Parts: sequence; structure tokens; C-alpha cells
Amino acid sequence: MTIAPAEPPVLRMAGVSKSFGATRALDDVSFELGRGEVHALIGENGAGKSTMMKILSGAIAPDAGRMEIDGRPYAPAGPGDGLRGGISMIYQELTLAPHLTVEENIVLGREVHAAGWLDREATRRKAREALELVRHPEISPAIPVGRLSVGAKQIVEIARALLNRSRILVMDEPTSSLTQEDSLRLFEIIRGLKGQDVSVIYISHFLEEVQKVADSYTVLRDGRSVGSGKMEGTRLEDIIQLMVGQKFTQLFPRVEHAVGEAVLSLDRLKGTKMTAPVSLTLSKGEILGIAGLVGSGRSEMLRTLFGLDEAEGGSVVISGAELAGRTPWTRISRGLGLLSEDRQGEGLALSLSVADNMTLSDLAPYRRHGLLRPGRQRRAVSDLIGKLKIKTKGPAQTVGDLSGGNQQKVALARLLHQKASILLLDEPTRGIDVVSKAQIYEWIGELAREGKAVLFVSSYLPELLGICDRIAVFHRGALVESRPIPEWDAPSLMAAATVGRAARDNTMGQRIAE
Amino acid sequence: MKSLAPKVLSGCLCLSLALAACAKKSSDAPGPGEGKILQIAVIPKGTTHEFWKSIHAGAVRAARELGVEVIWKGPQKEDDRAQQITVVEDFISRGVDGIVLAPLDDRALMRPVQDAVREKIPVVIIDSALQGSDFASYVATDNYKGGVLAARRLGELLGGKGRIFLIRYQEGSASTVQREAGFYDTVKNEFPGLVLLVQDQYAGATTETAYQLAENLISRFPDVEGVFAPNESSTFGTLRALQESRLAGKVVFVGFDSSPKLVQGLRDGHIQGLVLQSPFKMGYLGVKTIVAHLRGEPVEKIIDTGVALATADNMDDPAIRPLLSPDLSQIID
Amino acid sequence: MSRQRPAGLQKALNVLGPFIGLVLVIALFSLIPEVQGRFLRFANFKSVATQSVIVALGALGMTFIIITGGIDLSAASNIALSSVIAAYAVNAGLPPLAALVLGVLTGGLVGLANGALVTRLRLIPFIVTLGMMGIARGAAKWIAGNQKIDAPMTWVNELMAKSPRPSWLLLAPGIWVVILFAVVLAVVLKYTVFGRHVFAIGSNESTARLCGIRTNRVKVLVYVLSGLFCGLSGVMEFSRLTVGDPTVAVGLELDIIAAVVIGGGSLSGGEGSILGTMIGVLIMSFLRNGCTMMGWPNYIQEIIIGAIIVIAVALDRLRHR
Repeated sequence: MTIAPAEPPVLRMAGVSKSFGATRALDDVSFELGRGEVHALIGENGAGKSTMMKILSGAIAPDAGRMEIDGRPYAPAGPGDGLRGGISMIYQELTLAPHLTVEENIVLGREVHAAGWLDREATRRKAREALELVRHPEISPAIPVGRLSVGAKQIVEIARALLNRSRILVMDEPTSSLTQEDSLRLFEIIRGLKGQDVSVIYISHFLEEVQKVADSYTVLRDGRSVGSGKMEGTRLEDIIQLMVGQKFTQLFPRVEHAVGEAVLSLDRLKGTKMTAPVSLTLSKGEILGIAGLVGSGRSEMLRTLFGLDEAEGGSVVISGAELAGRTPWTRISRGLGLLSEDRQGEGLALSLSVADNMTLSDLAPYRRHGLLRPGRQRRAVSDLIGKLKIKTKGPAQTVGDLSGGNQQKVALARLLHQKASILLLDEPTRGIDVVSKAQIYEWIGELAREGKAVLFVSSYLPELLGICDRIAVFHRGALVESRPIPEWDAPSLMAAATVGRAARDNTMGQRIAE
Repeated sequence: MKSLAPKVLSGCLCLSLALAACAKKSSDAPGPGEGKILQIAVIPKGTTHEFWKSIHAGAVRAARELGVEVIWKGPQKEDDRAQQITVVEDFISRGVDGIVLAPLDDRALMRPVQDAVREKIPVVIIDSALQGSDFASYVATDNYKGGVLAARRLGELLGGKGRIFLIRYQEGSASTVQREAGFYDTVKNEFPGLVLLVQDQYAGATTETAYQLAENLISRFPDVEGVFAPNESSTFGTLRALQESRLAGKVVFVGFDSSPKLVQGLRDGHIQGLVLQSPFKMGYLGVKTIVAHLRGEPVEKIIDTGVALATADNMDDPAIRPLLSPDLSQIID
Repeated sequence: MSRQRPAGLQKALNVLGPFIGLVLVIALFSLIPEVQGRFLRFANFKSVATQSVIVALGALGMTFIIITGGIDLSAASNIALSSVIAAYAVNAGLPPLAALVLGVLTGGLVGLANGALVTRLRLIPFIVTLGMMGIARGAAKWIAGNQKIDAPMTWVNELMAKSPRPSWLLLAPGIWVVILFAVVLAVVLKYTVFGRHVFAIGSNESTARLCGIRTNRVKVLVYVLSGLFCGLSGVMEFSRLTVGDPTVAVGLELDIIAAVVIGGGSLSGGEGSILGTMIGVLIMSFLRNGCTMMGWPNYIQEIIIGAIIVIAVALDRLRHR
């Protein structure tokens, strides 16, 4: 670090507290951010990270404590003050307007104009400049953002923040929807930002990447700052211990289970949204991991299989009988269940209750003479809430009010409730905290032990390697490799996903996985 | 959040605001509203046309002379039959002493009028006819005669031959149907040389729809020589279309009713004749008749308020002038 | 989370909100000396209820559509078309019951067309029903020969008579029809799988599909249901007017939508209730009634109702924050 001792930190927060009703969201938290520093903010969901960032951005006011920027007191009255103070937030859910072009998004709210007439030339110049800054000049400023990949969208968002002359960039789970490759590019950009004296507060659940990109860290637990320091020389295990206190034992708990006979086989299944036909077989009690880059056709395969996208060729056989019909409804009646990768947009009806969300796919047990019996429904749901350790006030609570991890558990509970025997899980652990993740891994193992079959799509290689029996890799829409778990490691998986064939001594795979 | 408090609060606020606004209005109504002053509800077909404002003025004049209170209220949407029924029902609920009604439909308003009579509230019908005989009196223009006047004016100016439009107003409106019939019959009987290029097109309720219709007709028959329109909105809409297509003054145009724009049209020579009713007299006699009936005096079953033809030559005559530009200072709005 | 209120209280407030509004409106007019004695009479309540029947029937179906996140702009045109068809049938010498059924079915058919277009062509409901608004209105005028249809008086016209024929009915049969269907639909919405699916589609259609709900089928059903109620509403309109009028109810779809919204329905879907909607209908009817009885000019009435819609929705947002 090259922070001169006399120079005040870019940002100092001291003794910041905030309560919501009886809940103490932040309790006497202090925090310092140096110039050009990348500071990781680590903690489980609900530990207080987002409250802290909302206070920083000016979206909410603290109950106590003070903040300084460059040694001067900083007391924002609203998000506008935060922006003017040079603070930009990059949220987990992207905040771009999909119908507008890249350049329009970059200058959004700061349009270049003369008397209300947009200056297209200057806008484009400005956008290009910003894209240069993030070293992605290849992104065309004229195409609508909706057509970009998630990774490119993130880059556009960072470019927008830089154009705002931000000196403090807050990144909230920036890589949660990025492929490993895109993540690596993002890290390079972050390193570049340091050179421009921009400081970054980096929030992430991916501890490995935090270790790679951050200079220092602060761990929050239950609204308190429980530890901070330089990243160099700190072990991951120590950080995890700080995060979870005493309750955490194992990152990838393995449940013993036996693989039985085949229950699902795809024979050259091809959908209108799939670029190539896919064949694979899944057995009872088997956890089959599906690796690949985002956009490599994994989700499309699951969606076609489940009837959400239209199929146009090939066949699917479940327990010896061919699958007929086109709708998800017929799939569910054959024991399939899909967990969507888009939890908020598709997976859950956020304005409905926990009970409604869990039972939506199978309301038949609660019906008599055409009328629903809410009492029974609540009882059944209460069992599931207990079993999955979902933190909620009860079956009637609105799902939108739960934390990400608990929302995901509700979505999973629905599959259990509908008694799915073949589970198609699309990124089940994306954006949720470590403890919830570990719990989800454990259930997946237990489900396998009960003889259920699991297709597990993930972009997070360690979890695939940690819990699967077999991993198949997608590349450009096709399934290119499928091997039992002992024959894979991270570099070879990465190589298969990026170049379409497994590398045993491929240096490219090595380099990318690093 | 404490959601109840702001809800109740703002609810009260909104309503008291409305109340204040309305209290001011109702205090303007004539008569102090105490004791046994008769309350007469006058229900027009609409409230924005010049024609109805004249009726209002006449009703207010009569109310002043007789010392009764007039409540003026039209359907919320102009020309909406269902809403006029609602208005009549609400006045029955309020228990007014008498109702003066210009029915939007000769059939649909029958039942509410029967309801009123059953509740011992007499009804005088003005302007347009109502089927049945539950009402005390019918005070109206002889609309058929108005149509006859218009046809004669048009026929004379065209020398008994030429191609003309008969623009109709709206389906189901009894008064205009009679005007159209008077016009049509007279053309057929007295002026066989006149050719009706168009005789079954409806202008619709508003100036805008009339304007569009006339525009379309003119572009289809640019060689038209004479036009008749049966009420204020259709006359004005047609006038605008004629002016836009530079045919105003070249085409013989006879309209019905009056408004400042139409008077200007008459003066400019864009309109060759306006058949005038006396809406002021209609409102005046409507209220007079109901009050006479309420006071037990005998009333005529049918009262004709007369029609007159205004032209550029006679428009400043003392007999015609008040019909063309009625004095509305009576209604305090 | 910042929400401390128990779910039960929250639910109670949802219904209570509009209800308080209704009580306020009634209380306001009851306090004005000019109409005080008259306003609170049973006869007046009866006539307000009768006046509410047409909007209420339309709003019953509209509530379902709005909960699914859709909208039906063709409701009022559909009412006009159905009333014309009923009048036409009576005029053609069909038995009154057949005319009634024919009117209702006409409404259902229009609803079916709406639903089919929305689901098959994947067009947004706003566009489909905007088109249908013109088509149904035009069809009504065409069938009626561009004028009103005078039909002979039959018992159908008694449905909306303020003083019902067997006097023990107390209220017009039309009012009882509304009450009956309101109860049935409230139960359907809350306690049947269909109702649950309706809410699920409005809350998040993708989730509903994911959960195996046959969303297209539910949506078509909802539009057909709404159409049938518009048809019934049209029959009631015919009963009230005693003529089949193709120009009736212009703009009434906005009153219907406003009633649903005042009653807590959200135009983005997933929220709404039958009870709330019925209260919304009554709020507007009582306001009209009171303003008319006071002899207030129409513009005052329009301003008040407009303000109430905005306030109701604003308060709703506040409540959900």
C-alpha cells in the first residue's frame, strides 16, 4: 500500500449505528477507506452490509455516528448528495435501462445537450471515453443494453460510474451473475481503477475472489464490525470464522449417497432456443453438475426440458416412458421440478406469501369440494419452514420481505413440496450467504440419498467440484464433456468450458482458472 | 407505518375541500332556502351548449319572478341517457317539489318520470317529447315547423333546384328528428328540383364529430350547393368545415340554433339562415308551468314556444336579436 | 425488514381503507342540512344501489382481470353491445329469458375473443381490448341500425325497477344478482385453486408458468368471465333504459376500472379484492348521488371523483412502502 501517513483516508465512518424498530441493523461500526484502495466488505446476508452502504449513499440516515470524505464532514441528505460526493453504487441487480443503448445508458441523467437538443456526437465521444477507461472499447455504444451479456452490462455500469467522476465505487456482488472469464476481466478493471486513484468498496460472497482482488477487508456480523485488516497473509478460514462466529463447520458438506438406475435420459433434445441438440442420462441418487460459461446453453437446455421453451426435436424418457405434452404442467406431473436462475423475476411471486409460493405448484392436497383449506396449507408449510430452517415470521409473510438466502430456500421448498423426483437446479446458490449455501448443499446431498436425481447448473466451480458425482460441461450450446468427479479439477473444467475440450496439460486452462 | 392516520386525515381534507368549494356554489342559488319555498329541479340534456345556458337563464328568470328555487343539473356526461335517469332518480330521492326535464330519450326516461309522479312529484317536459302521458305539460318548439322554415329558405335561395345535404344530428333525439322530418318533407313536397346528395348521415353529439362528417362529405361531393344542419353543434361543425374548404359563402347554408360564432357566420355571409327557437322562453315557461301546476292552476297540455328565421337582413331587428344573442346575465356563473 | 405490522392487521387495513372512505362520504352528506333527512333514507340507498348495479357487474369481472395484471378497455362497449343484442332479441319475439341469456353470452363471446387474442397472439391486453372497444361499439351500432332499439316491455325490464314487483324482494332483483355474484366471486378468488392462480399470474407470470400453472387457460377464463359479467351488465342496462341503446355507457370502462383501483386493485397485478371493488363502486355512486341531490355542478363532482382516485392510489402506495 502506498498511503502516505499524513494523507487522510478518502472515507472515514465512525461509530455509525442504525436501528429499524427493535432490530439493530448497525451497531457502532467504524470503517476507513484509503485512496486507491480496494476494501472488501464481508458478511452474511443481514449482517448490515447493505444498510451501511445505504447510509453511505445517502439513501437512509444513520441514528448515530459521523462520516468524513477527504477529512471533511459528510452528511448526505439524499442519494443525490452521495453522487455529488463522488460515491457511485453498482448494485447486484443491474440498474440499466434495457431499451436504451449503451451510450444512452452511460450518460443517463447527464445527457450532453444544447438547449434540450441531444448532442449525439459528444454523447458518443463521452461514451467511448468511458469505455476506454474500463478498457472495453470493443463494446459498441450504439447497441441496446438489453442485447448485451450480463458481464458486458456490468462493464457499462462501471463505465457510467467512472463518467460521474466517482472516487468511491461501491460494488455489491458484482460477479454474482458473471462467468469466471468475465469476473477475471472485472478484476483487471478494478486494478486499473486503483491506478486512477479510485477507491473501491467490494462486497462479495465469493471469498476466493475477494482474496484475489481486495487489499484489505472488514467483516460485519450482526451489525457489528468483528474484524478488519490487510488481505495479504490472512487465511480464508479465518475470515469465514469471523463471518459466521461459531456455527460454521464445513463449506461443502458431503452426504453419502448411492447412485442407482437411470431415471431421465435426453436423446438429441433440441429446443428453439438451443443451438445444438443435447443428449445426457441422469440416474437415481445422482448429482450431475453442469458447468459452462453463462450463455453456453445450460439454462436453455433445462428450460426446454421443462417445457418453458419450445422443443423442436429429440426425445425425453423418464423412468422408461417417453415424455409427452408441451407444458410445464405435464413435466411436473411426471416428477420434474425446476428451480429458476432468476429468483426474483421468475422463481418467486414476491408479493405473495411464503405459503402461497411453496404450494403454488401443487394445491390439490388442500382442496375439498373445489374450495381451498388454508389451515391445512399453513400446517404443511410450517413443517417445511422448520425443516429448511427458513427465517420467516410465518407462512403468511410476504416472500419479498425475506433475505435472498431465505427466498431461495422457499423456492427450493416448493420443489420438495411438489415431491419432485428429478430436480433441475439452475444456479441455486447465486447471490446468497455462505451459511445458506452450505445448508443448500447439504439438502442436495440428502435428496440424493433419498434417491432423487439432481441436475445442478452452476458457474461456481468449487461447489460443483465439492458436491457433484459427475460433471458435464457445456460449450457454445453443446455438451462437450461428461466425466465422473475424480477426473475433473478446476483448470480442466475451465478449459472445457472456454475452449470446448478438456485440457490435461493445457496452459490456457491453467491461466484462466488462476 | 402509521398508515391509518394519514389516510383518514387526507380523506377528510379532500372532502372538506370539496365541501367548501360546493358550499360557495350553492349559496349562489336564488332564494334563501328557508321555509316553504318551492324547489324545482331543472334537468337539461347537457350543460355546456349555448342553448342550455339560455334555458337556464329563462328558468332562473321565472324562479325570480315566482319566488321559487331552481336547481340546475344535467347528466355528468352530455347526452348520456343512463346518467340522466340517475339524475332524475336522485332528485326524486331528494324530494324536490317539481321537475322540469328535457328528456334525452323519448322512451328511456318514461320510467323515472313515472317514479316521480308516483312520489307525487309532477314533471313538465321541455324541448323534446316523451312517450306516455305522465307529465303535466310539454313545453317545446314546434320542431317540425322549424324544419319547414329551413327548407323553404334553402329552396328559395337556390331557386328551387340544386344538390344539397341533409345532415342529421343523432339517432333517437326526438327534437332533431322532427326538424329533419320537416325539412325532408318540405323539400320533397315543395321543391322537387332539390336533389338530396346525402340524407342519412349522422353528425354525432359533438362539434368535432360534426366537423369531421361535414369535411368528409364535402371532399366526396365538392359540387354541393346547399346544406342544412339541425342543431347548434352540427351547424357549427359544418360551418367550420365549409370555412376550411373555402366553400363558406358559396354554398347556401341554413342551420339551427344560435351561438356567438354562428351569429358571426350569419354576419359574414357564411350562413344564409338560422332557424331560432326560443330556449330562454322554454326555460321560462317550463318553470312557470310547473309552478302553476303545483299551485293548482290549470295548465295547457302542450305549449308551443315558437320558431323564427334569422337572416343577415333581419338579425338586428328587436324581435330577432334577443333570440340570436340571449341575455345570460341572469345566471350567476 | 422494516415491516412491523402483523399480517392480519395489514389485511384488515387493506379492506378497511376503502371502507373508511365510504363511511366518510356517507357521513359527509349526512351532515349537510340541506339533504340530511333525505340522504339517509332507505329509499335513497335503494336508488343508489340500483344505480350501482351496472358498474358493479362490470367491476366484478374487471377485478379478476386487473388482478392478473391485465385490463379490459372494451368493458363498456361490451355492455352496450350486449344490451343491444338483448333488446334486439326481445324485439324479434324471443322469450325474455332467451334474450337475457343471449345478451350474457354475447358478452362472454367478446371476452373469449379478448382472451384468445391476448394469449394466442401474445398481444398486450391494453391493445387487444382497445381494439375490441371499437369493434364492439361499432357492432352494437350496426346491429341497432345506428339508432336505439325500442323493445316491448317484458319482465326483463323489471330487473332494475326501483320498486320490485314481488314487494318482499325489497330491492331490485338486479341488486340481489350483484350481491349473489359478489359473494360467489369473493369465495372463488380467495378459496379456490383458480383464484389462487389468478393472483399468482398477476404477481409474477413467469413464476406461475414455472409452477406448472396453465397461464393461458387461466387468462382466457378470466376474460370470458369478465365478458359474461359485462353481458349481464348490458342486460341490466337494457332493463334500466327499456331500450337497447348502442351509444350507452361511453367511457364507463374508466368508471369500472376506477372502482377496482379505489378498492385496492393494482394495475400492475397481484392485488385486488371483490369487497374492495364493491366499496369502490359504492363510493363513486354515493358521491354522484350526493352531489346531484345538492344540485352541485357536474364539474365539482368530476373533480372530486378524480381526486379520490388519485388519493386512493397514493395512499395505497404509502401503505405498501
